Amino acid sequence: MFQVVTGGSGSGKSAYAEEQILSMGKARRIYIATMFPFDQESFARIERHRVMRAEKQFDTIECYTGLKEIIIPEHANVLLECMSNLTANEMFQESGAKENTVLAICEGIQALLRQADNLVVVTNEIFSDGIVYEQETRTYQNYLGAMNQYMAGIADTVTEVVYGIPLTIKSGRNV
Amino acid sequence: MIMVIGGAFQGKKTYAKQWIADESRWADGADCTWQDLYSCGAVDHFHLFVKRFLEDPKLDTLPEKLAEKNPGLVLVSDELGYGVVPVESKDRAWREKTGRICTRLAAQSEEVHRVICGVGVVIKHA
Repeated sequence: MFQVVTGGSGSGKSAYAEEQILSMGKARRIYIATMFPFDQESFARIERHRVMRAEKQFDTIECYTGLKEIIIPEHANVLLECMSNLTANEMFQESGAKENTVLAICEGIQALLRQADNLVVVTNEIFSDGIVYEQETRTYQNYLGAMNQYMAGIADTVTEVVYGIPLTIKSGRNV
Repeated sequence: MIMVIGGAFQGKKTYAKQWIADESRWADGADCTWQDLYSCGAVDHFHLFVKRFLEDPKLDTLPEKLAEKNPGLVLVSDELGYGVVPVESKDRAWREKTGRICTRLAAQSEEVHRVICGVGVVIKHA
């Protein structure tokens, strides 16, 4: 099954996504970490998420770009967090796909779906502050919006988490 | 406790007046005190209260204290987290803190209503 979890900043979507993986039973749990640690704030954020995963028996695989090359152990439940980092990495990092970002990540999601028993992807709502940003940021919003639409199109469920409350946006089949 | 959340200018306070109509029982997060929070009937602009006391460690225990001291409170807050990551670190800290506190407040609340275009959608009813 493929689940997409979205929401605003600080909405509790990470905790919800982890619960989803835990509820799938004892199969191997893989966490795909995408946040490139470039300053103190990102170290702090990574540490906060690391603590949340402690005791939950996730194996962490770091993937900043090139998701389609990833190799996942068989019969694993995979949590990828998060699409907004991955999109920024592909756009801005030297090894990234640049203008081919959307295609590259779509192929990456397909690679994960071929290998994982279940996949949960966390993404982000960054589209509703009414501010018109400079071109680079608008391109980023455009790419992330395209990724969200692509994933939601092929996902079994899409859930928006609002202050810890899960709202079902799409429920394609019985879960 | 009842929580009313949503974007700015959506009619949240007007909606919340169905519970607390008397204006004198309303506090405003833009200027109220901690004591006001614990004694008022309703508070508007809670996100501005978080902004004013961002560095205050008392914020970290506020959700549980509010549930204990003012369990009938109607709390109105903007949802801040739906934009691009702010450039200023203080703005990032503010929206993160507001999200974390509101998530815990929502867990303590019997009801959470989300207002869009003046229309409230009940997203939690314990």
